[in-house]
Amino acid sequence: MISEELNKRITRVGPGTPAGAVLRRYWQPAALIEELEHGARVPVNLMGERLALIRDDAGQLLLATRVADADEAPTHYPPSDQIQIDADGPTYPVVQRAGAVFAYLGGGTPPAFPDFDCFRAPDTHVFAFKGLWECNWLQALEIGIDPAHASFLHRFLEDEDPDQSYGKQFRDKAGSTNIPMTKLLRDYPRPDILVDETDYGLKITALRHMEDGRTHVRVTNQIFPDAICIPMSREMTITQWHVPVDDRTCYWFTIFTSFDKPVNKELMRAQRLKEHSLPDYAPLKNRANDYHYDPSEQASLTYTGMGLDINVHDQWAVEGMGAIQDRTQEHLGRSDVAIIRYRRLLRRAMDALEQGADQTLLMQEDETANMRGPLSNDAIAQSDDWRNASHQADMQRRAACPWDASV
Amino acid sequence: MQATQIDGETWVRIAQSADLDIPRPVMPITLQGRRLVLFRDDDGQLGLIGRHCPHRGADLCYGRLEDNGLRCPFHGWHFDRTGQCVEQPAEPEGSVMYQQIKVPMVPVIERDGEILALLGSELEQSAGKETGK
Repeated sequence: MISEELNKRITRVGPGTPAGAVLRRYWQPAALIEELEHGARVPVNLMGERLALIRDDAGQLLLATRVADADEAPTHYPPSDQIQIDADGPTYPVVQRAGAVFAYLGGGTPPAFPDFDCFRAPDTHVFAFKGLWECNWLQALEIGIDPAHASFLHRFLEDEDPDQSYGKQFRDKAGSTNIPMTKLLRDYPRPDILVDETDYGLKITALRHMEDGRTHVRVTNQIFPDAICIPMSREMTITQWHVPVDDRTCYWFTIFTSFDKPVNKELMRAQRLKEHSLPDYAPLKNRANDYHYDPSEQASLTYTGMGLDINVHDQWAVEGMGAIQDRTQEHLGRSDVAIIRYRRLLRRAMDALEQGADQTLLMQEDETANMRGPLSNDAIAQSDDWRNASHQADMQRRAACPWDASV
Repeated sequence: MQATQIDGETWVRIAQSADLDIPRPVMPITLQGRRLVLFRDDDGQLGLIGRHCPHRGADLCYGRLEDNGLRCPFHGWHFDRTGQCVEQPAEPEGSVMYQQIKVPMVPVIERDGEILALLGSELEQSAGKETGK
């Protein structure tokens, strides 16, 4: 449990807020590149600011403030010709990377982009998409640094054929075995969770010790301040930002990165468009229709009764907490160790900015441009060798990769 | 809201017994702004408890009705009809943290086909005053 005051401090992100100041020190995904087809002006709603992507006289893309009504919906998306630019409002630089338009709202010189896999891989090997969640960004991020929930929330009471799993999370085989991930997660629901502080945020290792003397090792990452990097399948990783639209609404922006074959973007996009409506990328299953909850499915097929798409499970979990989770009522357990560690990082960063110690923030130095990885993978190893085996599994994948994925 | 005095206490009708004659007898109840969930367990007894899981606030109205109680789909925390947490299957083997975890419980009685809840201190202390959806 935390106090109401602290909960407010770590969740609110509008201009002038301490957490908002931290998020603004980092490049944030503001739009998908495909949104540029909307017209000369593309609405962007980011961290409580009402903005639009426009081009300056030199044809350079930038983010400007747009004139907005006070009662606009959080994801209001007016046609291009109805967007009026507020000439007195701030403008911000943007950069197009890996299928997304990233914006820097921090003022001053933006930090370098880290040389993470999602930014290094060629365009053929990355695919970006986004989706709307109607809740505060922090609870959206916290579910992504909670390795235990996958054994419950995403539990499948039957296993699908992993060969039919392209583009889906937790449907591959585990490590180099023929065990479906769904079965492994179900059979071993009490992972040991190790959290290491790194130069980019947190490395989170979930160990599931199996009965036969082997251990399943799942390495995921928190990339400060609002992203995660996790394995999706043997072939792909997910780098995902949880970007505030305002205090009560956020987008997940994901860059899927493939180590081996080019991403089948057409299939990836079709799979996701089937579940979302444009132009605001709002999920078709949502609170208003009970997430298509089906009690008979919950009894026989999935843990939630909300279908096979794990994104919907996560969306239900975080939206159901209320727009801003009331953390004065929470009871964190051992499975929440990464959440506890993350909040410590965030508080440290907020304090540092308030005290003018900007230089202590993560990933602000020039060396950030040389940061690689992070390692994100699933492996199964003899229990006494898990650390080495996990590392080796990632190195093998990187060595076989057609683009330079060396670390 | 229809109120009934029983032994000097005020009870209000929150549902008909027939409302729970469904394969999965679980329903949301909002009483004086408090968000609650009503369910019938395997013993046939009713539980009226806080709607948000005390772990991280997930909505127990979508809980799994099993093992004579309601189980949160987020991490499997399991609650009996008194709101007592009886299992935390993601916590380390041997952990007894669950003994300290209880969801607020509002007493209910069932009579003449109606389900009545007690307006009293239990309700006032129950968390989850509606804070916007």
